[in-house]
Amino acid sequence: MLGLAAAGESPGDGEDGMNFQIIVDNLPYLLWGAFPEGPLGGAALTLVLSVVSSVAAGALGLLLGIALALATGNVHRLLVLVLGFFRAIPVLMLIFWTYFLLPVALGIDVPGLLSVACALSLIGGAYLAHAVYAGIAGIRRAQWDAGLALGLSRVQVLRYIILPQSLRMMLPSFINQWVSLIKDSSLAYIVGVPELSFVAAQVNSRLMIYPAEIFLFVGAIYFVICSALDVLASLVSRRLA
Amino acid sequence: MKLHALAAFVGLALVSGLAHADKLDDIRKAGVLRVAAFDANPPFGFVDEKTHKIIGLDVDYALELGKKLGVKVELVPTNPANRVPLLTSGKVDVVFANFTITEERAKVIDFSIPYFASGQQFLAKKGTLKSADQLKDWRIGADKGTTMETTLREKYPTAKVISYDDTPFALTALRNGNVQAITQDGAKLVPLLAALPDKEKYEIPPFAISEELEGAGIPKGEARLTATINDWLRELEKNGTAQKIYDKWFGPQSKSPLPRLFKIGDAHIRDK
Repeated sequence: MLGLAAAGESPGDGEDGMNFQIIVDNLPYLLWGAFPEGPLGGAALTLVLSVVSSVAAGALGLLLGIALALATGNVHRLLVLVLGFFRAIPVLMLIFWTYFLLPVALGIDVPGLLSVACALSLIGGAYLAHAVYAGIAGIRRAQWDAGLALGLSRVQVLRYIILPQSLRMMLPSFINQWVSLIKDSSLAYIVGVPELSFVAAQVNSRLMIYPAEIFLFVGAIYFVICSALDVLASLVSRRLA
Repeated sequence: MKLHALAAFVGLALVSGLAHADKLDDIRKAGVLRVAAFDANPPFGFVDEKTHKIIGLDVDYALELGKKLGVKVELVPTNPANRVPLLTSGKVDVVFANFTITEERAKVIDFSIPYFASGQQFLAKKGTLKSADQLKDWRIGADKGTTMETTLREKYPTAKVISYDDTPFALTALRNGNVQAITQDGAKLVPLLAALPDKEKYEIPPFAISEELEGAGIPKGEARLTATINDWLRELEKNGTAQKIYDKWFGPQSKSPLPRLFKIGDAHIRDK
């Protein structure tokens, strides 16, 4: 396999140079965990967790960003305060709180996977809301006036005039946030969710002496996932343009 | 402010603990025993390469307890630092994870009688660490959230203790020269040394700075569950199961043979 075994290299010979045979041996576990006998894990779970949280964060960001743009007075201030709260706390803390403290404080038992997805969506959503708000604010006031003068309602102006222009401008912010979210999904380790970094730590602990090989491989997988998102986004934006 | 919030949480935890029905009944009714076990700590709890299931000495105890109670066992992977929070937040019913019994921990959770014991020892380059006295000006790697970390800081306040997320990172730090020694249970260091490709360069100096007695972690105030587990542990020793489990992981045929110097029911590790 891979020429390494043919060259007479076996696990344990790793003193000189790297031993990537151990990656080959543990590849299925790193890629999809104990699935199908057990729950999905590894890179596949990272992907699922990232997609679900990205969609939720995007929807939340869009909704809250629009609300921020339309709301005035105290409602606006309250929104800024709530968004500020979620932007200010570390993802790790929010995961830890929902997982360990909600059951104690309110008697609500939140499974690990859900607590991570919620934390990523809420915090990602809070960041994106500000990006959406900035995107909407970036469209000149005159366009609103023109729309309203044509007899459109505020919602219609937003839907047909403002958003189509601003969403295109916001795309880079969305990609930034999503890439950062994919990487933050590794924080799920704190509550034992078996995503990529977590299963890598398990394999690392069993083998003990190959951390460089294992985490180089893990880094490469994150790079591939994030780059794929980037490529996908540029394809989408080209079609939109 | 923070302290108040914490106090409120602890208070709530106590109240909800009292209000709950008996844990033993809950487990029997649910038909499931939720056990926190290590997933990255061979040979106590780690993921099997072939089956991808968590196995190990602690897992064998968990499975035996499940058998005794007549319920299924659901394993929840944990790291050292999450063991207490998993119990206090009610996420698991019992912890079997090389869990050293300490007064500090016993304030928030209960322990069974010890079923495993070992001493806190060190792994260093051969010939470098001759006595415990040297530790006071050494850089030493420890696993985060373990008693090793706290004992070392207490006994050798001038030593530089570097905490790592898990053992492989501490081991890598030792092999790269970031730290001069790493500290662990002797029972964990023996298989660790055996796994090293250049093991002839390292040694475990023959002294221990503490005795670690390890028991099952149980939610605070569950007297019936604790009594049941204690009786069951004594029974395991009497019928030879405890010895069988030990031999599977530390017996003469195992990867890391280690004489058994502690039996369930003993107060201390016996002298060799």
